[in-house]
Amino acid sequence: MGGKLWFASQGHTKKGWSNIMAHITKRSGLAVAVVAAAGLAGFALLGNATADTLVPVTTSAAIAATPPVSGSAMPTADRKHLLQQYCSGCHNDKRMVAGWSVMPLDPANIGPHDATWEKILRRLSLGEMPPKGMPRPPKEQITDFTNWLATSLDGMAAANPNPGRATLRRMNRTEYGNAVRDLLGLDLDVSKDLPVDDTGYGFDNIADVLTVSPTLMDRYINVAGKISRLATGQTSRTLVTTDYKISKDLFDNAFGVPSYNERASDDLPVDSRGGGSFKFYVPHDATYTIQLFLNAGTATESEIDANNRYEVKVPLKAGLRTIGASFPKRMTLDQVLIPRTTKGPRTGIPPTVEQLALDVQVDGVRVQQIAVPSVANGPNVAQAFYQRDVMQISVVGPYDVKGPGNTLSRRKIFICRPSAPLSESACATKILAALARRAYRRPVSPLDVGRLMKTYNTGRAGADFDHGIEAALEELLVSSNFLFLRESDPKGSAPGSVHRISDVELASRLSFFLWSSIPDEQLLAVAEHGQLGKPAVLKKQVARMLADSKANALTQNFAGQWLYLRRLEYQKPDRRGFPDFDQRLRAAMLTETQMFFGGVVRENRSALDFLNANYTYVNQRLAEHYGIAGVYGTAFRKVELDPALHRGGLLGQGAILTVTSYNNRTSVVLRGKWILENMLAAAPPPPPPNIPSLNDAKNGKLLTIREQMEMHRNNPVCASCHNKMDPLGFSLENYDAVGAWRVGYAGQLVDASAVLPDGTQFEGPKGLQGILLARKDQFVEAFTERLMTYGLARGLEAYDMPAVRAVRYAAAKDDYRMNTIIMGIVQSVPFAMRRTP
Amino acid sequence: MIITRKAMGRRTLLRGMGTTLALPLLDAMISSTTAAEAAAKARMRLQVIYTPNGMMMQNFTPALAGEGYAMTPILKPLEPFRGKFMVISGLAHKQAEALGDGGGDHGRSCGSYLTGVHVRKTEGADITSGPSMDQIVARQFGEQTQIPSLELGLDPPSLVGSCDTGYSCAYTNTLSWSTASTPLPVTVNPREVFERIFGDGDTLDPKVRIAQLRRQASILDSVAEDAKRLSGSMGADDQKKIEEYMQSIRDIERRIQKMEQGGSEAIALPAYARPAGIPDSFVDYSHMMIDLQILAYQADMTRVGTFMVGREVSGRSYPEIGVPDAHHPLSHHGNDPEKVAKLTKINTLHMEQVAYYLKRMSETKDGHATLLDHTMVLAGASLADSNRHDHTNLPVIVAGGLVKGNRHLVAADNTPMTNLMLSMMDRLGVQQDRLGDSTGRLAGLNA
Repeated sequence: MGGKLWFASQGHTKKGWSNIMAHITKRSGLAVAVVAAAGLAGFALLGNATADTLVPVTTSAAIAATPPVSGSAMPTADRKHLLQQYCSGCHNDKRMVAGWSVMPLDPANIGPHDATWEKILRRLSLGEMPPKGMPRPPKEQITDFTNWLATSLDGMAAANPNPGRATLRRMNRTEYGNAVRDLLGLDLDVSKDLPVDDTGYGFDNIADVLTVSPTLMDRYINVAGKISRLATGQTSRTLVTTDYKISKDLFDNAFGVPSYNERASDDLPVDSRGGGSFKFYVPHDATYTIQLFLNAGTATESEIDANNRYEVKVPLKAGLRTIGASFPKRMTLDQVLIPRTTKGPRTGIPPTVEQLALDVQVDGVRVQQIAVPSVANGPNVAQAFYQRDVMQISVVGPYDVKGPGNTLSRRKIFICRPSAPLSESACATKILAALARRAYRRPVSPLDVGRLMKTYNTGRAGADFDHGIEAALEELLVSSNFLFLRESDPKGSAPGSVHRISDVELASRLSFFLWSSIPDEQLLAVAEHGQLGKPAVLKKQVARMLADSKANALTQNFAGQWLYLRRLEYQKPDRRGFPDFDQRLRAAMLTETQMFFGGVVRENRSALDFLNANYTYVNQRLAEHYGIAGVYGTAFRKVELDPALHRGGLLGQGAILTVTSYNNRTSVVLRGKWILENMLAAAPPPPPPNIPSLNDAKNGKLLTIREQMEMHRNNPVCASCHNKMDPLGFSLENYDAVGAWRVGYAGQLVDASAVLPDGTQFEGPKGLQGILLARKDQFVEAFTERLMTYGLARGLEAYDMPAVRAVRYAAAKDDYRMNTIIMGIVQSVPFAMRRTP
Repeated sequence: MIITRKAMGRRTLLRGMGTTLALPLLDAMISSTTAAEAAAKARMRLQVIYTPNGMMMQNFTPALAGEGYAMTPILKPLEPFRGKFMVISGLAHKQAEALGDGGGDHGRSCGSYLTGVHVRKTEGADITSGPSMDQIVARQFGEQTQIPSLELGLDPPSLVGSCDTGYSCAYTNTLSWSTASTPLPVTVNPREVFERIFGDGDTLDPKVRIAQLRRQASILDSVAEDAKRLSGSMGADDQKKIEEYMQSIRDIERRIQKMEQGGSEAIALPAYARPAGIPDSFVDYSHMMIDLQILAYQADMTRVGTFMVGREVSGRSYPEIGVPDAHHPLSHHGNDPEKVAKLTKINTLHMEQVAYYLKRMSETKDGHATLLDHTMVLAGASLADSNRHDHTNLPVIVAGGLVKGNRHLVAADNTPMTNLMLSMMDRLGVQQDRLGDSTGRLAGLNA
């Protein structure tokens, strides 16, 4: 009671948080002391750039240092009383609901139980506690309490920076592939040759989870051999066939759908159709055969046979080439050609056969045109006058090898050429020192180079200079210096002490965060000169890195996992239920969300765009899916969204709606859980054992999913979580399992109304948007948590939450723009500092 | 999907491409089989096959115990091998139950399956299971072969999100644990399996291949030495990581030595095209992976294998057999007859993969007998009725020449699954006193 009365008598609560902050800041003596302490621990490096971040942290530290310092805050005794009055009914030593009790908690000394206090802060901020039906303190009182708690926790963290535990981190396979690309100019995806990495905390770059197994080591040594042979031009001259199968809409029993009258790839001519193209690494300057396998009939799309093979022989220069083949488009967009089909064993070939022109392209330039008949015979069917399609492209070679060629990789590696046998050793040393510095991401020692030179000498002795370099490169690629992101501690630093990481280490953390790769020359040079720690330099480098195309890694790897985009490839919507879904739509959905996320980052837009952007990116296929008129062709463009289309923000995008569905139906639970986990960082607790299953009928009457879920929620055990998940999911029920808008299904109108556990009613995607925007602080913190987990390559702990909040405070002052969020993470204690183990 | 990546990415796509080489088998890569006849007898293998999301037990368990039981719908595909396998009822995996850890039964299933250990509930930092039965066997059998064990599967490791509430994906991605903290990754790409067995195929001349291997060995020596030097200044956790790295290097070096020692006599193997990528059809994919495993046994590259037909919580749908629904939600069938029927179809399709294994093994000669005669096969799951997340009365099949087939053995209720595994290891000649929660041996495998 005391707490309540006390609050009723206070006039400060309405003044808002900024007034309270201003009030506290005046007590400057304490704040200065704290800044000094923090500076010792390495905060000085953060300098002006983080002044915004530091203000709330230091002032709050003052509060923590001398509670109750603020005139607006309630006395400590009242806070304790508040907890006891409203929380101890469940959270007591006996019941220990959710694993904690208020009994040992002391608001005057929150240090010993910071994890529990963080938990309390989160649930109170989300408005989840006390639960519906239980007595609740007035809203202002909760706000005052959470403000005090956040400030106190932040202050404690500022006074004792805790960067957490940084385990020795191995590159994951994506990072390995990117590092090879950047180190050697070998632009082919070698990551697919390594085993898929395990994930933890939702990402595949988590240091604790990335182990090394014999299987992996076996792949490392073999892949290193392949790469070093390719990069130095020493691949064997054995004839090899490389096949590229063009992905088609093939369903059950190999029966496919006819091809599309559109451009199959951005690498093909604009007015082409029925083709395909792929990147092929040409190992030698030599002659190669390009084989094109065409479809045998529209009913047997998947059949690839030698009767329908056409080939050309062409000289190719070593290096990465785009090999393509396509037909010129001869019909208007919507014209459909009905093939004439004759069934029966290889009969019915028409007397006059029209010829089609098949263009073969290398790097976008037509190298040959082949005439192919517009007819084909399978064993059981013959068709005439239909559009033919390229099913597979194969490259066979090399024939008549001329030499290793002048590839980008060879130019990058062989920065010198020995003019005489005597100068070989000096040149090799120069080459290997340069490679090792970039690969190990630090200045190299004579010991590092000496080791590689030993292997070079062995390779050289058996063959020639190039083979020597090849052998040393193979060693470099399996060295622990390359594979692990090593960080060291200052000499003599005491175990448990905290220090700023070196500039060179910071360069690696940065480039692995933003590029999923090694630092480039400029970043490494800036770090080696000891400049990277300077806030202005750091800011400039981050801006430069985000503008680089390599920052696409954030979309591929961070967004790919945060938004579950990587799952889209494996989603197989039921053809019968969703006949519209095809490879083109799948591809378009992925492109939309990737371009959207990439655009928000690149254009430094607000993170709130994720919730309510009024624009998106579509091509014709996707526009048709969404009902957007006036978009033609396969190219993507930015479009403004009419509210009547019910799109806008991530939750209106096909990719997200599809990956949170089952193949044959939507799931309000999957969608609700996804929103809680990824947009609010409020993952529901795990389901209890022995879950009762859904019943889809009651008293002989079939129940809708909504009715089934309602029955499920009647069980209080189920209700505690489903009350949170289901409403969020129900509001999206107008989107089907592939994200198309529907007003009804299974003979019933969609009911997209929902009620939150606190009684808030809302309806449809627009209503959900409102709910999320009202919790924008939680959303931005949730987003920051995901991005920070990814950036730190470890799970976040309670002691990291002040850093997350600091990012949010700073971002709030800048309309939640991406650069501010990313800079905030880069300058946070866990990212910039390290604890000596 | 291919088109997508091309539109967005700058990188060459390997998926869907492959290189085909007629495969003249590399003599040097196949260990000597001159003493084939004698050796084959002593050469025993262990193959584990795991199916996800439990089993429709009423359509799996035979009605009667003992010999000559009537085949059930799910067991039907195994009918041709009736004399070669036995069904065991009554076994349980108590350690996969909650035991105070709450939900996550799927998450615990695979971590317990071959270990009998209650895995630690964690998202990452301190994953702990136990050494798994296949790895204990591999420690002994692996001495003789280039690859101690092969871990294969058909579901890619979870790409995003968590795998089961509170449990790291490391627990659901594999069955095999070489130590309590080292899960062994499952290989899902046929091409990777192929290259693991036969090298990357760039060089076909055995002499060149041997020279290449020697160079690899010397490179590995060098990097191991370097890593050792650097690890001196590291904290204990980091040292553990480096130790993993060095252990893996030792393993590869040992393999290279084995390869060098191998004689030059080849055994006749079927020509096998180098797989391009993952086939679209589930059955084609499964058969390709099984063929590769058989190939590895045939060449005696390894004697231990695990095969995961799917991961727990797998949502794969099977439209080709009339099941467009996702597997996991379907497995919570609520006794709906339609769902039960569909689930039975999936279980049966998975059992057909077990049957394909037995078929291929029984067709493959090994000395004077067949591969199946010299292999101990365990097939089953760590969940019985997935609808209830039940870890008791599990579906268990044991097959091969080391057990007496055509029987339905009924063990006492709640007999630990690990008791069976100890008995299997006895039959394989692997000394092991205990495994996880074992309480003894399961009698009756051979009589």
